[in-house]
Amino acid sequence: MKGIVFTGLLDMVEEQYGYELVDELLTENDLPSGGIYTTIGTYDHAEMVTLVRALQQKTGIPIPDLLRVYGHYTFRSFSRSYRMFIDQATSAFELLNSVQHYIHVEVRKLYPDAELPQFIIDKLTDKTMIMRYESERKMADFAYGMIEGCLDHFQEKATISMADLSGDGSRVEFTIQKE
Amino acid sequence: MSELELTKRRLEREKAARRQAEAILEDKARQLYHANEALQRLNGSLETEIQRKLIELDLSEQRYRQLIDSVDDIIYKMSLDGLFTYVSPAIENVLGYRQETVVGRHFTHLVQPECWQEMAHFYQQMVRERTLSTYYEFAAKSRDGRRVWIGQTVRLIEADGQIVEMVGVARDITARRNAEQALQTTEIRFSTLLSNLHAGVLVEDEEGEIILANQQYCTIFDLPVQPGQSHRQSAGLAQHVLGEVAAFNARLDELLRDRKLVEADEIRLRNGRILERDYVPIVLAGRKLGTLWMYRDVTGKFHARELIRRSEEKYRGIMNKMDLGLIEVDRTDIILRVYERFCAMLGYAEDELIGRNINDMLVPPEFQPLVDEQLQSRQQGLSGSYELQLIRKDGSRIWVLVSGVPIYDERGDLVGSMGIHYDLTQRKELELELAAARQVAEDARMAEKQFLANMSHEIRTPLNAIIGMSHLLLDTPLSPRQHEYIDSLKTSADFLHRLISDLLDMTKIEAGRIEMNLRPFDLSTLLYSTQKVFEMKLTDRPVTIDVLLDTRIRGNVVGDDLILNQILLNLIGNAEKFTEEGSIQIIARVRREDEHEYVIDFTVSDTGIGIPAEKLDSIFQKFRQVNPSAHKPKGTGLGLAITKELVELQGGTISVRSQVGVGSQFMFTLSFSKSRDMVVPVNNPVPVAVSPADIPQCRVLIAEDNPLNQKYISNLFAKWMIPFGMASDGAELVELARQQVYDLILMDVQMPVMNGYEAAEAIRKTPNPNLFTPIVALTASAMLDQREMATQAGMNDFLAKPFEPMQLIDVLRRYAPVGNLRERSADAAEQAVSTAQDGLNYQRLDELYGDDAAYASEMFAAFLSDVVPDVANLPTLCRVERLPELAQLAHKIRPTFPMVGLTGLETELEQLEQAIHGKQPLDQIEQRCAGLVQELNRMVPLLQAELQKRLHLST
Repeated sequence: MKGIVFTGLLDMVEEQYGYELVDELLTENDLPSGGIYTTIGTYDHAEMVTLVRALQQKTGIPIPDLLRVYGHYTFRSFSRSYRMFIDQATSAFELLNSVQHYIHVEVRKLYPDAELPQFIIDKLTDKTMIMRYESERKMADFAYGMIEGCLDHFQEKATISMADLSGDGSRVEFTIQKE
Repeated sequence: MSELELTKRRLEREKAARRQAEAILEDKARQLYHANEALQRLNGSLETEIQRKLIELDLSEQRYRQLIDSVDDIIYKMSLDGLFTYVSPAIENVLGYRQETVVGRHFTHLVQPECWQEMAHFYQQMVRERTLSTYYEFAAKSRDGRRVWIGQTVRLIEADGQIVEMVGVARDITARRNAEQALQTTEIRFSTLLSNLHAGVLVEDEEGEIILANQQYCTIFDLPVQPGQSHRQSAGLAQHVLGEVAAFNARLDELLRDRKLVEADEIRLRNGRILERDYVPIVLAGRKLGTLWMYRDVTGKFHARELIRRSEEKYRGIMNKMDLGLIEVDRTDIILRVYERFCAMLGYAEDELIGRNINDMLVPPEFQPLVDEQLQSRQQGLSGSYELQLIRKDGSRIWVLVSGVPIYDERGDLVGSMGIHYDLTQRKELELELAAARQVAEDARMAEKQFLANMSHEIRTPLNAIIGMSHLLLDTPLSPRQHEYIDSLKTSADFLHRLISDLLDMTKIEAGRIEMNLRPFDLSTLLYSTQKVFEMKLTDRPVTIDVLLDTRIRGNVVGDDLILNQILLNLIGNAEKFTEEGSIQIIARVRREDEHEYVIDFTVSDTGIGIPAEKLDSIFQKFRQVNPSAHKPKGTGLGLAITKELVELQGGTISVRSQVGVGSQFMFTLSFSKSRDMVVPVNNPVPVAVSPADIPQCRVLIAEDNPLNQKYISNLFAKWMIPFGMASDGAELVELARQQVYDLILMDVQMPVMNGYEAAEAIRKTPNPNLFTPIVALTASAMLDQREMATQAGMNDFLAKPFEPMQLIDVLRRYAPVGNLRERSADAAEQAVSTAQDGLNYQRLDELYGDDAAYASEMFAAFLSDVVPDVANLPTLCRVERLPELAQLAHKIRPTFPMVGLTGLETELEQLEQAIHGKQPLDQIEQRCAGLVQELNRMVPLLQAELQKRLHLST
């Protein structure tokens, strides 16, 4: 898993709860990386699971919520760091539609070892988008937060419904219905 | 946990993270470097690979190109707007264009204009309907303008659903196209021919059914023709035309049975018309395929032929009955046709002549050139008549007059000639006999003439001696009696001489052998000389002689002065004879004068005894003398007869008036034309008394065979102190002439060994110092025609024997060189200086020869013997207009002139050459030639003297 996801999470915890909590998370958990992350490095996914679980225990906030907030936060930071991708699109649906064939293709050029989820568009109209999420990381909630962040960015309102197709969260269908 | 610790941990974490990131970045940079290197490597091999692939592609394209190129058909690609984008080289073979000149051009460039529209339509339709492949034929134009038929298959090429271009395969189909067209043309021709034939044509198949009949057939037989009928059946329907149908059909059956080609079968129709029928079985490879019947209406032709046949029969009859033998030959002289009369003339049968060469068969070899010449003019389309002999079958010959005409065929080409022969044998024989008779008469006349000449010679030669001797005798001391005897001897001899002369003159006049010789002369000189002659005779008698000349007569007149002189001598001689005292008058009075001529009355009157009236009528008759008994014979009795003849010969008349005891008057009238030329007065042969001192000094060479005459002449010359050489015959004279130069040669004509004419010719034509010495003929043959012969032989003058000393002196005066011989030889050097002006260029001669007299004499001798005769030829060449030769000769001899000091003549020769090259008028050139000859003749004595001088010096 890319370092940016770890640094982003830790940045968000520091913002919300202060660096003490970040220090606790890094100190109290057994992390093979020693809790040292850089955005361009690559780290084991298990460390993310460890960190999220420890954060749930410290804050009491359920993991799905945590991941959703974190997704929301990540989009915002992406929209700053990777503005060139975001600015290509003029609407949320357009951006979401280009993730699989454009943004992820470009990301792989930058990070050949990145393991990226599949985003497959099953239906696209003016008002409705049905998008499938497929990943062994099973982080559909994180994706949920990203979609929210995207709609916020374009200042669009839509209801997002989530349906776990596989039952273990590795294949999840999002239905985004604009008002 | 202190704030400090927390911060410290955070700092360590961030430091560690930074180091980690740096390591990652470094690793990334390394990776990037390697990736870059790999990329560069990949790039390099990629270029090689592309190069290799391109070569492969090229080779493959070349293989395809070669394949296309080796195909005989033209393969081309064309853009949709009709421009060639590719054309295979085969186009050069088919249409002559080079491949590269076609690419980029529009297809119309190769297509005949009349095909443009259709062709454009073809391509457009193909594209519009998207027909993938189409075949089309059109006429192309080759580079050299030929019309080439092309058949092509065109395919559309598409890319991405769009038609992008067209590919065509085209080949030359001209041969096929032409064959098709020829076949079509032949078909059209045949059908046109058949329907337009003037012959009726009917074709049956092998079953005898009509498969084709043209309109003419139906018209001839007045029938509708239905296929399926047989010829027999259709003929059956034509009974109203045919008449004898049964006979017609029988003949058809016969023809069909024999199955042999029969042409021009004659059929007479009921209405009198005549048909000709051809039966042509159509057989292929021995199998009968049908029959062709052809009917032609030949009525007109038949009648015309009949007319021609009758006409020919008629003319043949006429020709055969005529006395003219006709024959026709082709261009190679092979006899084509011959008529009975000709056969009869030559004794051959017709079939013996036809097909033979007329020349080999009939023409004698000596006439072949004549015949060839005639045949040539026949080839040029000219007719002509000529006479020749032909050989008969029995070998004898006949004379024929042939009129030959060329024969032309209907196209106007010469095909041969026709000869019309008229038998001349009899006439020719008669002609030959006549000619023979004429020859006999001519020979007799010649013999008579010769006899007269001989007679006159035989009589005059001794007379000459007698008269001459009596002259010499008179110069010796004589007693009065001897003197008297000799005087009467001389008188008798003179009379005999005159008698013979008169007789001969009369004979000549009667034989018509006296010819008028017209030339300009001075009448007054003639009259006064005559007067002088008689004055001398009358010195011791009381008779005066006067001339009264009309002053209107000025200048010269043209006439025969010799004959006029003869007439006057006769009349005055008569007057002198019969007048004892008183006067004789010679009057010439102009009766009439115009621009061109004088008509002059001459009167000779005397105060003599007169003529009795009854004798006046016969006075002009021969051998009549008025008073033979009363007077001593003083005349021959021929004088007046001759006079009358001589007057009449000149177209004049003569009359006489007389009174016995008072005198006589003889009057004659003659006309003379006026002359514009001045006559140079010549030394008149007036015998006047001379002393030896007056006699010109010259060297004379004489040829005389009669010893008495030799003696006479020798004595005269001795008396006159003139050096001379004497030869007894022509050969001797020629020999003497070679040795020395003479001033004059006197030449007896009739001599043994070599006669005078021959000797004169020898002197004129062979090199000797006397090439230009004057030669005077001495002849007893007083015939006038002898003079002509003398001139022809190159002699200058003529002296009739017997001659008196004065006549000889006169000749000497005329021909001796000007000046005195002795003076000339004595003072040659002085003379040389004096003649340098218009004579020889002595300065030049000195420069050339100096003291070398031998060389100089060689040059002079060579010039006299070689060049002088050449100059004499110049006027002749000019007269016969052989100008190139004239120029050549002038050019050749010119350089020799300065060698003998004739520098003036050299210039004149040069001018002559220029005149010829400058194409000056012929008369001017002739004048120059004559001038040259004259000038050179004037110089010859000088040259001869010079030669003698140098010869003398060199020995």
